[in-house]
Amino acid sequence: MRWEIVLLAALAVSVAHGQKLQSSPFHGDEASTGVGKATFRLRCSACHGIHAEGGRGPALDRGEFEVGDRDIDLYRVIANGVPGTEMPAFGARSTEENIWRMVAYLRTFQPEEGQGAGGDAVRGEALFWNRAGCGACHRVGGRGGNYGPALTRIGRSRSLAHLRESVLQPDADLPPGYYVVEVETQDGRTLRGIGQGFDDFSVQWTDAAGNYRSYYRNEVASARREFVSVMPASYGESLSEQDLADLLTYLQGLRGEGGQP
Amino acid sequence: MTMRLIGFVLAAGGLLGGAPVDAGALASAQEDHESWLMYGRNYAAWRYSPLDEVDRSNVARLVPVWMFQTGQPGKLQTTPLVRDGVMYVTGPSNHAWALDLKTGRRLWHYSEPVPTDLSLCCGKPNRGFAILGDRLYKVNMQATLVALDRRTGDVVWEVAAADYRQGYSNTVAPLIVKDKVVVGIAGAEFGTRDFIDAYDAETGEREWRFWTVPGPGEFGNETWGGDSWKRGGASTWITGSYDPELNLIYWGTGNPGPDLDGAPRPGDNLFSDSMLALDADTGQRKWHFQFTPHDVHDWDSVADPVLVDMEVDGKSRKALVQANRNGHFYALDRATGDFLFARAYTDVNWADGIGPDGRPILIPGHVPDDEGTLTCPGMGGGHNWHATSYSPQTGLYYFNSGDGCQIYHGATQDFVEGEFYLGSAMENVTGEPREGSILAVDPSTGDQSWRFPLVSPPTSGLLSTGGGLVFAGTAEGYFMALDAATGRPLWRLQTGGPVRAPAITYRFEGRQHVATAAGGSILVFALPD
Repeated sequence: MRWEIVLLAALAVSVAHGQKLQSSPFHGDEASTGVGKATFRLRCSACHGIHAEGGRGPALDRGEFEVGDRDIDLYRVIANGVPGTEMPAFGARSTEENIWRMVAYLRTFQPEEGQGAGGDAVRGEALFWNRAGCGACHRVGGRGGNYGPALTRIGRSRSLAHLRESVLQPDADLPPGYYVVEVETQDGRTLRGIGQGFDDFSVQWTDAAGNYRSYYRNEVASARREFVSVMPASYGESLSEQDLADLLTYLQGLRGEGGQP
Repeated sequence: MTMRLIGFVLAAGGLLGGAPVDAGALASAQEDHESWLMYGRNYAAWRYSPLDEVDRSNVARLVPVWMFQTGQPGKLQTTPLVRDGVMYVTGPSNHAWALDLKTGRRLWHYSEPVPTDLSLCCGKPNRGFAILGDRLYKVNMQATLVALDRRTGDVVWEVAAADYRQGYSNTVAPLIVKDKVVVGIAGAEFGTRDFIDAYDAETGEREWRFWTVPGPGEFGNETWGGDSWKRGGASTWITGSYDPELNLIYWGTGNPGPDLDGAPRPGDNLFSDSMLALDADTGQRKWHFQFTPHDVHDWDSVADPVLVDMEVDGKSRKALVQANRNGHFYALDRATGDFLFARAYTDVNWADGIGPDGRPILIPGHVPDDEGTLTCPGMGGGHNWHATSYSPQTGLYYFNSGDGCQIYHGATQDFVEGEFYLGSAMENVTGEPREGSILAVDPSTGDQSWRFPLVSPPTSGLLSTGGGLVFAGTAEGYFMALDAATGRPLWRLQTGGPVRAPAITYRFEGRQHVATAAGGSILVFALPD
């Protein structure tokens, strides 16, 4: 009986706060935005940056948001996640009040101008598939290689700054779970590839030809993993500023939406 | 006799679980090879079993006997109890089971709803039962202590230790001392003021409470600036140990609140990050030792307080050892609380050793700020909470360690009841994943005997046995046996789920069995017939 009452009370609170509110009740409340900031750092900073400056996830310090600029838009994204991206749903892991506190914190940032890369997406696309050779390793839609991460929706999930950093300094921030495996075989060969598994007793990787390899570690002479990218770090030299702007504009436009390759 | 009839007799005849467990049985738990009666196996928290049927020479032949899947979400962190042919298992989210030790068949299932508005830092685990008489004792997530009839799983009584709406919760395995159930509490990430409680095992009435953050007029309150003591944390979320001769309970305490921002709480912040020695009858403090005064790195000191009699610098000592989350292994005199020595066991860059007074010699530049400071060990330690083991056979103390650094960010944050009160957060260092190791050290010197590297920070506790083995698990799902003398792996099984619990061992129907939780399952092993 006691729990039925508690559950009913919880439901009532849910209706009162979660469903009916359209904007955060905590705007201008420093204590609450402070809690929102602390919660953001705990739950969100691994992807969105410790100062909300963006990283693997979009920058949230621009004062404008792709998902919509109303508080309720932000609330829904935090609570429900974004299907098809790495953004999980926090609704079950956070109280409604605390989500509204995070919304209030994110609202403390003021809008800025000029967030686009300023290039030509058509030229960028040509660059991607031809001269820059990105498509040899990366896949967009059904086209391209399998060695690097798929980029079909990369424009939805990465900030412009992060895309630029990834092109110029591939090692700067690797996707979660990305590493390179280097194995020395018992007959002295060195094998290298994208890590698929690495634990105390076994190692798995995919080589540049796309072959999946799996060994127990006592079957090889040595195995180690490196947290580096196999992508060339030379695009800063081989691409002009205009090339880079074009390429980034193309990447920003990759959103996995209908009609796109 | 048919199985159905046996089941009827067990249920109707009250044979299930056998004779009551009295205080004498608990005091001699180390000699009871058929049972596992408390979290740390004995009052000294050794997690060592003299059983030697499974040993270095034959452990490679271990095979599964049975497996029990809870069918509930969440991973098990429990230390099962074993008594008279029954295994008692607690699970996440207020679930618990009694299992037929022979077959793994479920005998009963207990569950209690978890409130939806709980404030939780770290999931909904539970670390085990305590047993006395015909009753089992466990905590529930919403900061209650419940007594169950061990034959049926029926609730005998349930008491609230604290109001969960204020941020309290609980995961600890209780400790039975005489006729009392001793429990800690969790909540320091939410600005609670924490404690250690003792309850009458018969009635559930509270016998004493020791506040781990002293109030006005109490010793140590002056180590908290202003009214910061009200939100001081110092949780007690891992089971302590007990010395019957000294009649002292030893229990470690967790971080002060807010975790990473020391500005609102000037002072040493007693008794956070401390070892407490409490009179078992009254809860009065006999002594305390603070490992990390004014902690700003979330270095709880709740890890197993393990009681070892040993020579230190040529002098015989009743010692207490702890592998602390701040990166140092400590030995204390458990009668007096005197500091004996400390040694770093992993990379430490925030202190230049521990001084003769037991206080860390601080290296400047490690106070978390907005931009972040790189400090080793990272937030999880060092050795965190995972169960440790002392083998009198090898004379070695076994524990695991998270190795690596993190970037600590600090920020000022106002307190809101029931909400995170951390004072900011940690970041991983790009390209430098945190790893781990299993260590064997000489407890009388801190010298390392061996180190088994882990590719990830450790998740499981440890068990050592008279067969010269250390059983351990990994985040990637291996359950394995290491040579206790060398650390060499002798046997392993990929269980398919992260091993987040320590193994236990017991003799049943004449054979030694080894059991562990992996993922949401209990697995039991033995040598083939």
